[in-house]
Amino acid sequence: MAPIIASVVGALLVAFLWVLVTAKPNTADDADSPLLGQPAPSVVTTTLNDEEFVLARRKGSWVIFNFFNSTCVPCVAEHPELVAFNERESTAANPAELYTVINDDNDDSVRAFFSKNGGDWQKLRDVDGAISVAFGVAKVPETWIIDPNGYVRLRIAGKLSTGLLDEQLNLLKKQFGS
Amino acid sequence: MNSKSVNNKWSWTLLVLSAVALLAFGSMRSSGPQTQADRIDAITKVLACPTCQGESVYVSRASAAESIRAEVARQIASGQRTDDEVIAFIEARFGSRVLLVPRSTGLDSLIWVLPVFALVCAVGTLGFAFRRWKVVGNDSISEEDAQLVERALREEQ
Repeated sequence: MAPIIASVVGALLVAFLWVLVTAKPNTADDADSPLLGQPAPSVVTTTLNDEEFVLARRKGSWVIFNFFNSTCVPCVAEHPELVAFNERESTAANPAELYTVINDDNDDSVRAFFSKNGGDWQKLRDVDGAISVAFGVAKVPETWIIDPNGYVRLRIAGKLSTGLLDEQLNLLKKQFGS
Repeated sequence: MNSKSVNNKWSWTLLVLSAVALLAFGSMRSSGPQTQADRIDAITKVLACPTCQGESVYVSRASAAESIRAEVARQIASGQRTDDEVIAFIEARFGSRVLLVPRSTGLDSLIWVLPVFALVCAVGTLGFAFRRWKVVGNDSISEEDAQLVERALREEQ
């Protein structure tokens, strides 16, 4: 009996070790989320200019939400990338709409940041973090892409690397149509 | 075994069974209607703060935890979702890592089943081993040992 038990325990240990050794780290640029492939959560808020914003009315356009805080170091670091992306998109035939979602920050700090660093796209208020919770955003920066039919297609957690947003958006446009 | 010890045994068994039944009843019975604040507290105590290590949303003061607490409060105030539905809503956004108490369905159920399985196996193996030792163990003494003891006793006299 003892040799059988020892063999079973040994086999289990070997199996655990095999899983640990062969498991591949997640090095993908996109992050997982239960929302991927699902209709985007309802977003009704106001912009920093006190205009109403309703996500459901943006159907027909690719929408990009960048969750941002002016004191977050990676958010500041990726900002030039977003500015460059927005400039390129503004000349495209069917440009994607970029929005900053203000995460746990005040209006004045955000205004000061954008007047200093550029970026003339709309900034959305996120009262009590309702938009962040709706998208499951725990840490900023995070960037989400929503297709023209209102489905969530991509989540990028963390700082955007150079050209990543263009690359991913082009892939999605090819896959789901522009 | 006399009748007194049998009676004692039954009394103890009855006492233990009664205690277990009362504990089970007490832990399962509804304690009446909860206030909204009670419901918010109960829900946030079983949700993990997504940016902290091992803290519940109830305890944490991190920005993400406060946003989740505000969302739970909004949903409870709207009165349209049960506690389980509110938890499911948060889980659908942040994934199952946000649950402090794993679900008892699907792959998560292994977390509940495996320790019980391991305990049963351990107890079974120990029981088997003890039984084997008892059977293998030899209570009788050898002829040589008996003579040795006899000699020693004689010398002592």
